[in-house]
Amino acid sequence: MAKLRVLSSRGDTVIEWDEKKVALGDPEAVAAVREAERIFEEQRARGATAFVVTPNKPARRIDTFDPNAEQVVMVPRVAGG
Amino acid sequence: MTDVAFFLVAGLELLFVLLIIGLLCRTPYRVLVQQPAGPAGTRQDWRAAQERAEALMRELLSEEEYRQLERRGFLEVRSPSRPQRVYRVPRHQGQVKVYESGVPIMALCVQSLEPIPDGDAVIMHKLMIEGNEEEYLRIANRFEPTLYGFIALRPRRH
Repeated sequence: MAKLRVLSSRGDTVIEWDEKKVALGDPEAVAAVREAERIFEEQRARGATAFVVTPNKPARRIDTFDPNAEQVVMVPRVAGG
Repeated sequence: MTDVAFFLVAGLELLFVLLIIGLLCRTPYRVLVQQPAGPAGTRQDWRAAQERAEALMRELLSEEEYRQLERRGFLEVRSPSRPQRVYRVPRHQGQVKVYESGVPIMALCVQSLEPIPDGDAVIMHKLMIEGNEEEYLRIANRFEPTLYGFIALRPRRH
């Protein structure tokens, strides 16, 4: 299962989808990916930064939605404190 | 007359101390400091958010990283571009201290514009340092180390 997590004041919000089902055209899985992509773009427009997180590897920043990434974590906009 | 004044001042001081103790007992200190303002940020919601963030941290950090955070109060994140550099991300939100070859060189202050729980802040710093270090350094307010630690009088933008 692939995941998109968005960090916020409510803790993280998660949306999941099965990449194999997406490849087979399963309507529910395709809808989940579309929703994840919509959230990704919405958060990016608000200044959030997205990272692909893979176990035992450093995080990698991405600027476009990757439906095949195992896990994407979005960090809200930051500023110097 | 002097005795009366003394007891009056002592009484007022005692009253003040009791008031402070009463306030601290009523509201947990961390909740008081970190709970976001606004209608969505009730204390229960904030506690639930803290719990979710804690679970996320356990999931995203390795066993060793989580243990370090619990025992030492900070998570060490290696710089991807400077081999001698390590960032110490605090367990609870605050300045990130930067060390090169074990020597403190600066402290950084970066925070989310939206209030996020402590655990999510740890994840935020880790991801930004690993995956977006230059931008992280560009955004951060920097504090130079002094004889008294990282207490800088003037933050310096870089």
